[in-house]
Amino acid sequence: MTVPAPAALESRIAALTDADLARGFDAFRSKLSAAEVSYLGACVRCGLCAESCHYFKASPELENVPARKLDHVAAAFRRHATTAGRLLPGLVGARSFDREMVRAWVDAVFGRCSLCGRCSINCTVGIALPRVFRAARAALASMGLVPDDLQATVDNSLAHGNNMAITKADWVETVQWLEEELQAETGDPEARIPLDKKGAKYLFTVNPREPKFFPLSLQASAKVFWAAKEDWTLSSDPGWDLTNYGLFSCNDEQAGAITRNLVDAMERLECETLVIGECGHGYGAARWEGPEWLRGSYPFPVRSVLELMDEYLATGRIAVDPSRNPKAVTLHDPCNLVRHGGVREPQRRVLRRAASTFVEMAPHGEESFCCGGGGGQLAMAAYKDRRIASGGVKAKQIRETGAPVVVAPCHNCIDQLMELNKEYKLGVQIRTVAEVLADAIVPGPREEGGACPRP
Amino acid sequence: MSAPGLPELALGAAAAWALLALALLALRTRAWGRRTLHAPPAGDAAAGARYAFTKGMLPQAKESVRTHLLSYAAGVVFHTGVFAAFGLLAASLAGVAPGSAPVRIGGAVAVAGALAGLGLLGKRVASPVLRGLSSPDDYVANLLTTSFATLAAVATFLPAAREAWLVAGAALLLYVPVGKIRHCLLFFPARYELGRFLGRRGTFPPAAGREA
Repeated sequence: MTVPAPAALESRIAALTDADLARGFDAFRSKLSAAEVSYLGACVRCGLCAESCHYFKASPELENVPARKLDHVAAAFRRHATTAGRLLPGLVGARSFDREMVRAWVDAVFGRCSLCGRCSINCTVGIALPRVFRAARAALASMGLVPDDLQATVDNSLAHGNNMAITKADWVETVQWLEEELQAETGDPEARIPLDKKGAKYLFTVNPREPKFFPLSLQASAKVFWAAKEDWTLSSDPGWDLTNYGLFSCNDEQAGAITRNLVDAMERLECETLVIGECGHGYGAARWEGPEWLRGSYPFPVRSVLELMDEYLATGRIAVDPSRNPKAVTLHDPCNLVRHGGVREPQRRVLRRAASTFVEMAPHGEESFCCGGGGGQLAMAAYKDRRIASGGVKAKQIRETGAPVVVAPCHNCIDQLMELNKEYKLGVQIRTVAEVLADAIVPGPREEGGACPRP
Repeated sequence: MSAPGLPELALGAAAAWALLALALLALRTRAWGRRTLHAPPAGDAAAGARYAFTKGMLPQAKESVRTHLLSYAAGVVFHTGVFAAFGLLAASLAGVAPGSAPVRIGGAVAVAGALAGLGLLGKRVASPVLRGLSSPDDYVANLLTTSFATLAAVATFLPAAREAWLVAGAALLLYVPVGKIRHCLLFFPARYELGRFLGRRGTFPPAAGREA
């Protein structure tokens, strides 16, 4: 069944020439290595992956089965890149890469997949479906078929250095205002949110949603650094935004250009380590994909701020009183941070120390369900209904914990969880790890005048 | 030993075709190359691959298997039965007596495999989602392997069925490189690459006690 693409894309699909299609398929092929080619030929269509997908769980229809989504892509590969597919297309389910197929790809890889990878670990064969879907998205990107609102986010990053087109003046002003707030909160007139501090140990990066909508989140991170007496800085110029929607549009050239902002900021400010704030895709983009987009290793390490918070607690640099967080908290695992990022335990250790009661969702960790907001879904309005419906799985998980506080170390996930909170009437409070930790901090002795000496 | 008849010759030719075509498939797949990675690893890719082929395949590591234990068991029995049928084929070609104990055991396993194959075929036909997922390849592949396992079992006590079994084997081997049975080869690089990918990122293997 062919599902129409969003209206803006539909007209572009209708206008595709054979040359466009050939270019798109060449782009797809260019993203394949032996690994992806193995994945494309290995599916046995057993269907056991179906219930691993939050889209299928929310709406158990054929087009939501991961194997079906894969088959749309694999069918074209079989048709154009395998002998059996060329000679016996009807037998082996090979189909041409034509406009109908392009529609199917758009629907499958943009409209019904958050690239969360839960199907991969549940696949009986071991197919990393998101790797294939990323190649398919890249093909669509090469034909100008990235949904406009997702592409606009990328374009903002390319043009303004951040995905919300926040001006430098607004950013700096927000940071300065938050510094005053931090001083008021801590009672320490020397508390700082450093900007452009050359040679700082850590360059800290944030999601633009923080200065725009959730300034208290940034203030909480700053309070953690203040309590740890950390040597850190933000960048006033591009390089402060950790997001990279090129990860989702799968235009690697543009994704690389956005990553370059971070690398340039590190070089400009001569910092030791790039610290990615609480953001799943931002961590995945900067830590794992960035070096591949730039085709070279960074001359600096990349760490998640969650690892720093965990270290501060483990080494006693921060003291906490969990009774300051008396309500039970549960934790959402962002897919790009945990299943694809390997950062699973630091946030748990922090919450166990900083909150009175920590409740795990079932399942969690590598088996956690996507909230529904990943893969760029939050930026694609055409698929909003599906996103909210697929998030019902996460809403059910949250409700079953009984915890009144949901912690999500990812601002994209937080946006989705806030919508789910409203839609499914969960009545929970949604917070970052830093917000919970900041509330639990018991300020230690400081040097004369309240200065924060470098440890 | 008597000279090989037409069924044996057909089987030999089909086996040669299957081996050659699978070797070519392996070479062509390999020719796509391996991506050079620049991000420093957070974990051990080799350990991830080992996990993917061991604990990572067990029900405790896979919700999809835990919640479909019957299908999982049927799949395991089906594959075991098909391998047993190939074992019986090798024994038959080597002149092992049909009535020997190993052959009888092999026959029993092949019967179980055939029944499991039929069960999985029935599931594919009965489930609208699985039907929608399927192409003719799925039915052809199942029927060929199930027939082969069935005839392998029958031939252990009915020598007259041997020729039909050899022909079924030849048909199966001819089809192996064409359709989904290619997963007998591609399963290994696919699972290996998934294991390496998640191992490198520190996701596989889950740390002790972290398994769900």
